[in-house]
Amino acid sequence: MSNRNGNAMLEQERKYFDENRAKWLAQYRGKFVLIKGTELIGTFDNLNEALAEGARRFGLESFLARQVGQDEKEINIPALTLGLLRANPTHSNIRSGSNS
Amino acid sequence: MPILHTQILGQGQTPDGQIVQLPPSVALQQRGPCLQASVSVAQIIATQLLQQGQAVPPPTTGLALIDTGASVTCIDETAAQQLKLPVVDVVTIGSASHASAQASVYPISIDIAGLPISIDAPRAVGAALASQGLLLLIGRDVLQFCTLFYNGITGEITLSI
Repeated sequence: MSNRNGNAMLEQERKYFDENRAKWLAQYRGKFVLIKGTELIGTFDNLNEALAEGARRFGLESFLARQVGQDEKEINIPALTLGLLRANPTHSNIRSGSNS
Repeated sequence: MPILHTQILGQGQTPDGQIVQLPPSVALQQRGPCLQASVSVAQIIATQLLQQGQAVPPPTTGLALIDTGASVTCIDETAAQQLKLPVVDVVTIGSASHASAQASVYPISIDIAGLPISIDAPRAVGAALASQGLLLLIGRDVLQFCTLFYNGITGEITLSI
């Protein structure tokens, strides 16, 4: 599920975010920070503003745009993580087909 | 408010190998609420690229499964890389039965065939969906702006945004 290149590209940015988390929580809680490498490019009121500035400066290069106070939280996609996508047994197809 | 109303179609195979059309209710149960969709880089980023005279990667098309169990929208990781989407964050996908995995976050725009508007999903998560024949899982981050009516009896879904 992980994109090694993308993760590797943002390792520096995430580390920089972690190092500054406490300070930024006091200064920028709720704001969106835009980070490239080990540089805080700016803080923004919403994600779209951060993405726009990131694209303006870096085009399609990767950058970190994250809300301060909303750290790397876990997300849930049960069908994906449990391998349930399209989990219909073959016999179900056959039975259904016969009924039609 | 644009409304998309569709009936899910599908085929099945009888024990003697004959291909038959499934009743829509069975097709919906087996395929799930799937829609044709195209994905491109988020509009806010495309606008910036165009203003600077840069090319915007062309959209890619495929099947999108509406997944009310998914907290966020997912895009096939390979498609995301082919679209040259920028990685804008990394998240951890939790699982009760498997080890948690990290995944890249991409800003995307979704166009659903039959709906005249684009839907932004600025934090779509990359996942291996192509092996399931899917380009997208449409999660609750997008569905929070939608009304979805799932009619299992007639095999129809109605989506409005």
